[in-house]
Amino acid sequence: MLPRPHLGGAAIISFLLALAFGRLGAADVMFKITDVKNAPVVDAVVALYPLDAPLPPATPTAPVEIEQRNTEFNPFVTALRVGSAAQLPNHESRIEHHVYSSSPAKPFEFPLYKPGKSETVVFDKPGVVVLGCNIHDWMLAYVVVLETPWFATTAADGTAKIAGLAPGRWRAEVWHPRLKDAANAGLAVAEKREFTLAADAVAPVQTFNLKLEPDRRIRRSPTLRGAGYK
Amino acid sequence: MPSPRFQFHRFGTRLLALLLGLLFVVLATTYALVARASRANAQDHAAQNLAVAAGIFDRTVQQRIEFLAASASLMTGDFTIKRFFLQAERPDFDTLSSTLESYTERVDSTVIVLLAHDEARTLLANSDQAMNHENLEPFRYLSRLAAERDEPVVHGFSYLNGQLSVLVVVPLYAPRPKIAAWFGLTFPIDRAFAEDLKRTTRIEVTFVSTDDPAQPRVLATTLPEAAAAHSAIAARQSLGQTAPFLLDLPALSPDSPATALANADLSAAATERYVTLFKRQPMLGENAMTIVLQRPLRPELAAARELQKHLLWISLAAFALATVFAFWISRGVSRPVLQLAAHTHHIAAGDYARRIEETRADELGQLARAFNRMSAGLAERDRIRDLLDKNVSPEVAAQLLRDGATLGGEEREVTILFADLRGFTTLSEKFAPRDVLNLLNRYLDRMSAEIEKNGGVIDKFIGDAIMALFGAPVAQGDAADRALAAALAMERALAELNRELAAEGKMPLALGIGINTARVVAGNIGSHRRLNYSVIGDGVNVAARLQALTRTPEYRTNIITSAATVAALRQKSAPGILPVFSAHGQEARATSIRPLGSVHVKGRAEPVEIFAVEPAV
Repeated sequence: MLPRPHLGGAAIISFLLALAFGRLGAADVMFKITDVKNAPVVDAVVALYPLDAPLPPATPTAPVEIEQRNTEFNPFVTALRVGSAAQLPNHESRIEHHVYSSSPAKPFEFPLYKPGKSETVVFDKPGVVVLGCNIHDWMLAYVVVLETPWFATTAADGTAKIAGLAPGRWRAEVWHPRLKDAANAGLAVAEKREFTLAADAVAPVQTFNLKLEPDRRIRRSPTLRGAGYK
Repeated sequence: MPSPRFQFHRFGTRLLALLLGLLFVVLATTYALVARASRANAQDHAAQNLAVAAGIFDRTVQQRIEFLAASASLMTGDFTIKRFFLQAERPDFDTLSSTLESYTERVDSTVIVLLAHDEARTLLANSDQAMNHENLEPFRYLSRLAAERDEPVVHGFSYLNGQLSVLVVVPLYAPRPKIAAWFGLTFPIDRAFAEDLKRTTRIEVTFVSTDDPAQPRVLATTLPEAAAAHSAIAARQSLGQTAPFLLDLPALSPDSPATALANADLSAAATERYVTLFKRQPMLGENAMTIVLQRPLRPELAAARELQKHLLWISLAAFALATVFAFWISRGVSRPVLQLAAHTHHIAAGDYARRIEETRADELGQLARAFNRMSAGLAERDRIRDLLDKNVSPEVAAQLLRDGATLGGEEREVTILFADLRGFTTLSEKFAPRDVLNLLNRYLDRMSAEIEKNGGVIDKFIGDAIMALFGAPVAQGDAADRALAAALAMERALAELNRELAAEGKMPLALGIGINTARVVAGNIGSHRRLNYSVIGDGVNVAARLQALTRTPEYRTNIITSAATVAALRQKSAPGILPVFSAHGQEARATSIRPLGSVHVKGRAEPVEIFAVEPAV
């Protein structure tokens, strides 16, 4: 799974905001997320909320894609701004899927659609949406629907970068699927921290040390992994 | 003295008592040990069965839980259920309740409830409308426990509408780890469950609630009501009891009226003893419940009883054998002993000729041989004594037997009597020797008899002469008196013999007797091979000389004695006359002693004063 920082829209907006505030010297902030053993944490969602200014109004962006391939969702964690849409293409060769969510932020289901087809869902409420497949219990994906345009997902080295930030006070929120009760409680379990971004200064790396639960994902059945009967 | 027979009977009885007593101790001990061991074994066996039953109970419950959990897992994964939570609008929970109702049929759960994954665990759907918010607390408790522990299945015992039940709570994942709701399933621990357990384990099962100390409640049981009530009381009284123990329960048939209940007097009623095991079963948020597992002891003891019966028969047979054996041994001992006893009677009676059979090799055989040897020895001694009596005088024989035939003697005062037949040499020439011998024997026989009657001892016969001793070998205080009495008796006996001879037309005999008292040496005289008891001394010669003096016509007497003898007389109240003389029951006779003056005796320097002895007129 490749880390996919969703910076396209955010960068433009921050650029515009910087223009609006009359300051072109916007700052970048690096995040480094580790667990209690100081191992880098992938798939953590980092979101920044300005405390000195209101959030900019949401504007539609290009839909992100969460594909189903090899009876897995890909990517595992997707962060997007509220109002954005996601496409759920079935990239299997033969198997149908029945993608659903029971999360209050976006309950939906797409009963049994064939390979090659794709469904699109618009996430109109902030929160964590857990995607499942009614046919394959082990299939699991998280869509983190955020109100802020400033967010990123950590890469395999546990780092993420959010660019184009105005100086001032910010609240950082870090969410990860393996935080305790993350699937049920959603963003409420996110680690939060406030910090001030000084003008014309190099922002220090924001490090978060997360206490993560063991990975309790359902194991895939052996036959579908191609191992066959033995 | 008890009769020997009785004694030996007692010996046999004692032997019998000993054998039977020992046998009894051994058998009784064995019996008691076997009984105790088999009882303990039966209890152990029952206790093991109870422990196994307790394990089977746990396993059965666990299997039911696993079955329900698996069923629940399948249900929650089912599209039918899940889709209720995928709709944006409020789900149709009435339909969901109906769905759950049909599910209860499918998985044989008494009730299935669906609780929301919210703080209050709101009831969403319910297969049984009787289940309301109040009695769902155990499910709520379990679902919170499951969320806390992040476990896919939690379960526990609780009362659901008063019914003891096992509750299973499973989360409805949509998808995992997102919890959409909670599934609660249950199955009852009721009489059917208890009966099922009994079928598998053949153990009586009673579930008892001890929440109310005054009134323990039987929740379900395989026992008759009264027995179960008793078990419940016992369970209440011994909550901490974890080891198996024995409990008496009323042995009522299952259809007995329940009136004879918990407090019924067990001593009056028929009871059945049960090996009982209490198993405490924790309850959700409540006091633990007690599972009473029981197995009657009687069937467990059946094998032991059989063994004991066999043992009893073996014991009786051993007793009988021991009795026979004891009789045999006692008879084997007592018969020969009785024989020996009879033999001693024969020996006591002087019958030494009998012999005991010497067939045995044991101690009794040795004893028999010793007896026979003793008989032979006694017979030999008797024979020797007999011969001795004939050859020597009885007193000498007795002295020989007493002191042994050893050479040597002792000095003592003895009165010596010498008697000689006058004119015997002429007689021998006239008659045939056989006739002479016959006559001589007749004469000697009479004389000997008179001497012995008066306590004299024939020392020896010297042809027709007799030498007799008074005061030897046995000392006599009145030896002199006896000698004089004997002499006079001989004179009379000869007169009697002469009358007989006259009647036979034979010549009369005449004798002369000399009596002297002197200190002599008395003892066994001779060689080591042959010896005689006799006396040696000058006094003996004097007696012989005095006898010879009776031939002197002017003395006109047949009996001459010396002054020493007269001096030794005990009876001398009147001079010259012995007024009374008594010996050996003979009638008293007066004796006259007439002095004859002094004579010179050949071989002696001193003259000897002599006296004639005559019967008093």
